[in-house]
Amino acid sequence: MIGQSTGPFFRWDWVFSHLDLVWEKVVEHLVLTGVALGVGMALSLVLSVLALRWRRTYTPITWVTGALYSIPSLALFAFLVPITGFTLLTAEIGLVSYTLLILIRNIVAGIDGIDPAVRESAIGMGYGRRRLFLEIELPLALPVIIAGLRIAAVTTIGLVTVTALIGQGGVGFFILRGLSRFFSTEIVLGTALSVILAVSVDLALVLVERALSPWARRRASA
Amino acid sequence: MPDPMIRLQGVTKVFPGMEHPAVGGLSLDIDEGEIVMLVGPSGCGKTTTLKMINRLVEPSGGTITVAGADITSMAAHELRRGIGYVIQQIGLFPHRTIADNIATVPRLLGWERARIAARIDELITLVDLEPGMKDRYPAELSGGQRQRVGVARALAADPPVLLMDEPFGAVDPIVRGRLQDELLDLQARVRKTIVFVTHDMDEAIKLGDRVAVLNVGGILEQYAPPAEILRDPANAFVEGFLGSDRGIKRLSLIPVSEVDLERGPVVGLDESAADARIAMERYGVDWVGIADGERLLGWVPAEDVSDPLSALRPRPFMTRLGLRSSLREALDTVITSHTRVAPVFDGDRFVGMLTADSIGREVTE
Amino acid sequence: MIDFLGEVVRWLVETWDGLVLTQPGGAVIDQGFRSGYVWRIWEHVQVSGAALLAATLIALPLGAYFGHTGKGGFAVVSVVNIGRALPSFGIVALALPITIGLADALPFISSGLGFLPTFVALFALALPPIFTNTYAGVQGVNPETVEAARGMGVTEGRILREVELPIASPVILAGIRVSAVQVVATAPLGALVAYGGLGRYIIDGFAIRDDVQIFAGALLVAGLSVITELLFSWVERRVVPHGIRPATSREVRRAAA
Repeated sequence: MIGQSTGPFFRWDWVFSHLDLVWEKVVEHLVLTGVALGVGMALSLVLSVLALRWRRTYTPITWVTGALYSIPSLALFAFLVPITGFTLLTAEIGLVSYTLLILIRNIVAGIDGIDPAVRESAIGMGYGRRRLFLEIELPLALPVIIAGLRIAAVTTIGLVTVTALIGQGGVGFFILRGLSRFFSTEIVLGTALSVILAVSVDLALVLVERALSPWARRRASA
Repeated sequence: MPDPMIRLQGVTKVFPGMEHPAVGGLSLDIDEGEIVMLVGPSGCGKTTTLKMINRLVEPSGGTITVAGADITSMAAHELRRGIGYVIQQIGLFPHRTIADNIATVPRLLGWERARIAARIDELITLVDLEPGMKDRYPAELSGGQRQRVGVARALAADPPVLLMDEPFGAVDPIVRGRLQDELLDLQARVRKTIVFVTHDMDEAIKLGDRVAVLNVGGILEQYAPPAEILRDPANAFVEGFLGSDRGIKRLSLIPVSEVDLERGPVVGLDESAADARIAMERYGVDWVGIADGERLLGWVPAEDVSDPLSALRPRPFMTRLGLRSSLREALDTVITSHTRVAPVFDGDRFVGMLTADSIGREVTE
Repeated sequence: MIDFLGEVVRWLVETWDGLVLTQPGGAVIDQGFRSGYVWRIWEHVQVSGAALLAATLIALPLGAYFGHTGKGGFAVVSVVNIGRALPSFGIVALALPITIGLADALPFISSGLGFLPTFVALFALALPPIFTNTYAGVQGVNPETVEAARGMGVTEGRILREVELPIASPVILAGIRVSAVQVVATAPLGALVAYGGLGRYIIDGFAIRDDVQIFAGALLVAGLSVITELLFSWVERRVVPHGIRPATSREVRRAAA
């Protein structure tokens, strides 16, 4: 940036001339995020069902996922590299690990928070365990679960940028390249894109929640 | 005698860690089409007993048969789909519309959509809800409306048996009275076998065909129609549970129509002030009622009585009783009104009056 | 697997006072004390501590002021939301052109690389948790307690210092702890802007594909992170005024006797 320091901090023309690349990286970023959230959610659902069924497993499960969460992101990826190399798998294992704690905590809290009278009347009417979980408990826990998913999504989108250091990266590609080339435009671009993606996905999830829970907003008219 | 709809034989429940059984060897027969009330103090096991019938609580011992079949002979969830269940907090599914809530058991049983839709409409009318409520969510309804939906939901698959666990406990007394009346109306139409748990003896007397008074540990102290329990309580415990106003409670079972009514100090518009004074003296009161044919217009205090009677402005009677009102309501009216009488009407037609004396005569008979 | 772990252990044993590199030709070079992890840990703690201290000096008074006056609630919520959406990698990277620009403009700043950008980035990251927790803590003090003090004639400044801050201290200290852990966890990225610290091993390890160095570096980073968390939790417990701490059952029984 010795040559760059007198130049503009952010060059729009560069961005516009590289829109294909920008698009490619944005898509890559979203794919990385989507896979991590998908796998994370699936795993969390399984672990949550376990924790809800056998209460004693909840503490060890939160302990392990909590320990994973507290490992600094660079270190977690670094632990994995000697095992799975500089691959997509390494990135995804790391990203998924970070989603587990918040998702499991919210799924369990969401289901625990359901009015016990609803559960009692459902069982009393003849609901079996599986249909009870799928038709009654999950839908009612949805607002809390999506709240957790939003936090997980925003966190993951930020973390995807770090995966640039192990060869993946999404928009983190721009941040890393901008850093190594002393090109501030790319650094700003990468960071801004990450923020925009995070805010957009958060908003999209809010809309999804509204669409899936029309009942949560109705109130008795006077 | 046909077999009882529900039969409990030596039913016992011991909860883990508890010294004494919650229910110890209870035997009870419930016939088809009757409302049986389970009453008793806390700890008497009434709710536990109710929940054993649909296996929300598994009995530790004894047998329970419903419609001739042992309840343990089928899967629990199948049993429950054939028994209606209503609880105090109702437990409507907040994420489903009223229609979907009511359709719960029919859906679980796999009815076709058309049949379910027809049944929903039927039930909404049956429990006196507006058809427009079908697509609302529970959060949009009042407490009383939600109670009605709860009952409709329990009746949806037309189960022969209905279990109710203090269903009206969470609403205010006025709504509760109304819901109780509606339940009796409903029962007159659908004739279900209902097992109803309550801690309120008045509710038990009002609703029950038979009342089972339970003591702590599920001990059955008395099982009989309410009039019999009021007349001859089996022991000191039952007497204590009935309360000291047992005589007055009996009055709530007797409708006004079964009692001889008097005309009371009432004169027609065609009569004179002198006739009015004679009537007042005969009854020993300081007021006279004015009637226009069969319409009772009201009453006038003695000092205001003058000719012509048609020029007077009678005050309305505070409470007007119908033929189905109970003697207890009549007594309440008699005590609280200025006139010390309870006028009885058949629609708008004035039929007669009850005084403290006429009511008292009924109690001693 | 076992061999690998054995090599990691050997690396840890050897490298405390200097990183030893084996050249392809067989020559062994010791890079000196400052390449060992004792020094690196010092670098790591240095930049983290400086950032945390600076952030506390700014965010705590700000949060306390806003919490006391009750204004700015919306700003707090926005800070939390934005803070979560900003990628820490981006912050560190962004600090570089900023500090290089500063170094060019200001003669007393010798270099825009290394310590400065790392410090600036970590400082920015440390602000939100301290600010929001202090705000929430001070704002959450029972308004009746504050009213009582005001009614007795205590000045606003003293109310803040002697009533609200002590009562809010558990929440404030929790915020500082969260901030500290976050800072220590992100400091490794300083290696990308030419700083030292434990991140050096991971970043350099990536470059030369040295699995042992990568893994050992990760262990050190994770270890330091855990120690930071434990240390600050311990401080939290000790520093909170006695009356504010939730009583243990033993204390309650003793008091009742």
